Amino acid sequence: MMKIVAFLLIPFAASAAADGDAFFRERVEPILRQRCYECHSHAGKIKGGLVLDSRSGWQSGGESGPALVSGSLEKSLIIKAVHYGTPDLEMPPKAKLPESEIAILEQWVATGAHDPREAVVAVTKKAGIDVEAGRKHWAYQPVREPALPAVRDSSWPLNDVDVFILAKLEGAGVKPNAEADAHTWLRRVTFDLTGLPPTEAEIAAFVTDRSPQSHERVVDRLLESRAYGERWARHWLDLVGYAEQIGTEGKIFAEHAWRYRDYLVDAFQTDKPFDRFIREQIAGDLLPAASPQERRTNLIATGFIVLGDVDINAIDKLKMEYDFVDSQVSKVGTAFLGMTLGCVRCHDHKFDAIGQQDYYALAGMFRSTKTTFKTRHGIWSNVNRVALPELEEDRAVAAKHEQKLADWRKEKEMLEADLTALGDKADDAAKKRREELTAQVKTLELRIAHGEYFNPGKPQAIAVQDAEKPADMRVTIRGNPYALGDTIPRGLVRVAMWGPQPKIPAGQSGRLQLADWIADARNPLTARVAVNRVWQKLFGEGLVRSVDYFGTRGDTPSHPELLDHLALRFMRDGWSQKRLIRTLVLSRTYRLSSGRGAEAASDPENKLLSHMNRQRLDAESIRDAMLVASGRLVAPSGGPGLPLEFPENITGLPIAAKSNHPQFAIKNERESQAFERTLYLPVVRTGTQPGTARLRDVFDFPQPAQFTGKRNETTVPTQSLYLLNADLIRQRGEDLAKALLATQGSDLDRIGRLWLRVLNRPVATAEQEDALAFLQASRAAGEAHAWTELARTLFGTNEFLLRF
Amino acid sequence: MNPPRLPFASTRRAWLRQSSAGFGAMALHGLLHAAANPLAQRSPMIEPQAKRVILLFMSGGPSQMDLFDPKSLIQQKHGQSVSAPLPEKDKHESTAKLLALGTDIPVRPRGQSGVTISDLMPHTAAIADELCLMRAVHADNNQHGPAALQFHTGAIAEARPSMGSWVSYGLGTENQNLPAFLTIHPGIDTRNYSSSFLPAAHQGTPIILPAKESDPAIDFLTDAATDSATQRRRFDFIQRMNSRLLAQNETDVRMEGMIHSLETAYRMQTATPDLVDLSKETEATKKLYGIGGKTTDKNGRACLLARRLSEAGVRFVQVTMDGWDHHGDIRGALPKSCAATDLPCAGLIRDLKSRGLLDDTLVVWSGEFGRTPWSQDLSGTAPIEKHGREHQPDSFCTWMAGGGVKGGHMHGDTDEFGYRPVSGKVHLHDLHATILHLLGLNHEKLTWRHLGRDYRLTDVYGEVVREILA
Repeated sequence: MMKIVAFLLIPFAASAAADGDAFFRERVEPILRQRCYECHSHAGKIKGGLVLDSRSGWQSGGESGPALVSGSLEKSLIIKAVHYGTPDLEMPPKAKLPESEIAILEQWVATGAHDPREAVVAVTKKAGIDVEAGRKHWAYQPVREPALPAVRDSSWPLNDVDVFILAKLEGAGVKPNAEADAHTWLRRVTFDLTGLPPTEAEIAAFVTDRSPQSHERVVDRLLESRAYGERWARHWLDLVGYAEQIGTEGKIFAEHAWRYRDYLVDAFQTDKPFDRFIREQIAGDLLPAASPQERRTNLIATGFIVLGDVDINAIDKLKMEYDFVDSQVSKVGTAFLGMTLGCVRCHDHKFDAIGQQDYYALAGMFRSTKTTFKTRHGIWSNVNRVALPELEEDRAVAAKHEQKLADWRKEKEMLEADLTALGDKADDAAKKRREELTAQVKTLELRIAHGEYFNPGKPQAIAVQDAEKPADMRVTIRGNPYALGDTIPRGLVRVAMWGPQPKIPAGQSGRLQLADWIADARNPLTARVAVNRVWQKLFGEGLVRSVDYFGTRGDTPSHPELLDHLALRFMRDGWSQKRLIRTLVLSRTYRLSSGRGAEAASDPENKLLSHMNRQRLDAESIRDAMLVASGRLVAPSGGPGLPLEFPENITGLPIAAKSNHPQFAIKNERESQAFERTLYLPVVRTGTQPGTARLRDVFDFPQPAQFTGKRNETTVPTQSLYLLNADLIRQRGEDLAKALLATQGSDLDRIGRLWLRVLNRPVATAEQEDALAFLQASRAAGEAHAWTELARTLFGTNEFLLRF
Repeated sequence: MNPPRLPFASTRRAWLRQSSAGFGAMALHGLLHAAANPLAQRSPMIEPQAKRVILLFMSGGPSQMDLFDPKSLIQQKHGQSVSAPLPEKDKHESTAKLLALGTDIPVRPRGQSGVTISDLMPHTAAIADELCLMRAVHADNNQHGPAALQFHTGAIAEARPSMGSWVSYGLGTENQNLPAFLTIHPGIDTRNYSSSFLPAAHQGTPIILPAKESDPAIDFLTDAATDSATQRRRFDFIQRMNSRLLAQNETDVRMEGMIHSLETAYRMQTATPDLVDLSKETEATKKLYGIGGKTTDKNGRACLLARRLSEAGVRFVQVTMDGWDHHGDIRGALPKSCAATDLPCAGLIRDLKSRGLLDDTLVVWSGEFGRTPWSQDLSGTAPIEKHGREHQPDSFCTWMAGGGVKGGHMHGDTDEFGYRPVSGKVHLHDLHATILHLLGLNHEKLTWRHLGRDYRLTDVYGEVVREILA
């Protein structure tokens, strides 16, 4: 209001109303022309969809809505922008206008924004999104049961999968490869299902098994193993942005994150139905539970929402929270629906029929969910923790822990009493004793502070709850939480809906309704996206190659009927991933050799699956395979990845008056950690990955800030340098050499075993000679050295690094 | 300087011929397949002014008004409360009093051009006429992590490719023995030199200059426990295994790429130790950078190495110098940060110039943000002379020198506080667009398709700052 009074005092105001044309032409238009047209006119650029070279241009406005509301300084974005009062809404961007020009614009708007200019060119404002038209895209169409296609060679298919594949191959006149040999198939299926290589014994059992069920036997054995759960848990973690560190400022630990990781291992190993898996992760806290154990599982599962990257030290908490909501919406979109939703925060999707309305409908649910809290001091927050229902065994652990703490406190008191008893004696013995006692007290203090902070008897999870006052959210202009648009009722993404928006009970976030919609058999995306992810892990590429994006700019399915067939079968089979995988790996298609036949030239990308795609082992498999080959892999573990039980790995305990978080600094590792599966090693967001997990940095482990269903696979010299020179390779080589030397037999016998352990196949004659010569040349430094050299060198070969 | 000598043969073809394994003709053909080398040199899109970049990153946020942008208002009002237009959301307890904090060491016009530089940086002041000083640079986040990420990648919260990765992707490398993007003394946040969704060949390779000469400067570069004959034996054995495998198969671009990559690794292992060995430089050159000086040695060696790498054809070399985060006692601490960086940075410019390299090398000096004109007092009880300054992304100073920018030029002004830009605003996106432009890359056309969208370093923003182009 003050501003309006101010400009009325400008003498020119009186004549402005009388001669609007002249005022506009003489005073306003030159400013627009000089200051705005470069970016906002048909002659220049049309940034943000806004043109200011005609009346209709500012009336219809750009992506942020009408540029001005005649008569209202408060409602006019153009006035807000020139005042530079709102970050991200500052125009012109390079420099603020002189006050005199701002005054003219204000006067113009306040007096009715008279503008005689007609549109030179028809302004083609994007007329919002067309949801109905958007539904025509294949991925938003309902999943339909396809007919089995006819094939000429009916002896080739082993199951329905093969029928769909063969039909296309025959149609294109491409002959499929022959089957891979037994060693290759066994290595392939063992790595694909468990992330580990077959052992010597497993190889021997399979290649001598003459029964027609030999393949089934292997697959069933692998699906039963804990290693299967571990392998597929890691795949899922790639979609979560999982790490045991919160944010990237400092080294703040996510000490309970492992519970979510172990939840995943259990979920995959026990073949939790995928629809249930969805519900637990999105809305586990809102599901009924029959037992404390089930309640725990449900709560832990919601770690999915909160275990991504969030920067928790921010002055502007509102901005921080909105950013986190954005990453949650993006994650749900990517992981379950193959939708990219992140860009819709600021504008309607450019290619898909997803509007800001859809984004804020979902965002409101996460905004209504408690995911962070501000810490006592300064500008820090932390992610939400939930106390888990205690089980009987927790009480025992708690009691034991309390006892331990009590003992330490008592011990400390006694030591302090001893100190007091020493008085101010100054002889050497007393001095020495005083120093000893002081040091012991200090150690105990740290131990007590540590024990008070980490109480294993009070189990917690990093998980979510509904906020106290769930509410709908307002659109933010260009993602700015201080520049707000319309309120959007919470709801679902319209383009993939089949019925009305759900009713969200008062006092709830709406996540339960979201989970129900995603996990519904009628959702056109969920099952397709899920089976396509599994397909990609087994065949190297998805039937839809853009596994995380099923939108209009993504890839179309190479075998749409097969995709739908599998999606329906998956749901009919109780959303069982194990049954799906069993079908896929027992197909003929999965047995094909990977060398490309001459005929494959007509299909350079192998979209027809005439042969198996080769894959580079991922970081986890490379490290784990070396552990298996050298016989050092320890039994399945689990539990905390960060070794926080060592007080020396924590800084900032006891917590000082004005500080917030203790932090981790890994100085000590558990001895077993060098020999555990890579899955169980801590994942950090900043700095190199700790200990032997370092290998992750070299072999394309995804940054835990990303959600990615398909890892990059790169070939860089750093990897070769690592294989040639890293300590880890030498250590596993030494272990493997020791294991070989402990067995009876000739050099050739050992070479044979070495090949079976590392390359999982018998050694060839030419290789035997080469290996013998290599050993001979390396023997100067002793037998163990020579075998170490040979073993470690084999870890550097392409054949070890690839799965064929 | 001659390019580093290849370790065992002048060309790959020659090596293949002398390789005892004897590659088949098909394998040889495959090895030379261009697709196997993502770092092959590429032509710029437009006429380039610079061929390479050295980025001097002042981590922590140097204080712009104490170094380059003097403000009389805060001098006059030193210790008094000012009515700054600071949004409510950015206020917090340690800065709430908004006490103006004057600058105790003068910032003066220098050289012919009158570029303003503090007495704390006498060496930089002496090369003022080479510098293009931008005084109204701004960014979007006031915390180190996100701000540094935006400085390097353009994005605050996501992991996007770093500037150096985009340059590597856009131009490839001139030196096939080395990656195109090397970063000396990077901080702990690996996202700042990550290639993200770009192929990993474009990732920044970190270099930590060892305290001991014997330690490798690049991770896993050598195996200290092994002699070169053993290393050669390993390498040859692996390549024989690889070539036998390849010979059993039809062409396989991936396997060829892996063979190529192992070969590059072996060359790096042999050539790089020479390149990072600074002992061959003259005493005069070392002195120019402050090598051997108590405060300047670390940064001096890093800057000299940056020159050597640039000279050897590395596209993008970054040197990070930290210690600029002066929340408290800035008057006591800032002189130390200046002393540690002034001579190395100025020495680099002088050295590049005397070797004729400055004409086509772009040097950029910047922090991730600047600092507030008002003071910060974490204790709540310190006298004003012991106060520091809080972070400020709204305006700060960056300088460039060399390839294609005006020397002895100042661009942009801030308000009377030194808080908000009033003219010549340069957003980090604009800075990125300008750096790419000088290298001959159009920031709107240098794109990578990811998740169905074409991504750029500048996202949907950025304008080339034409006013500073020479």
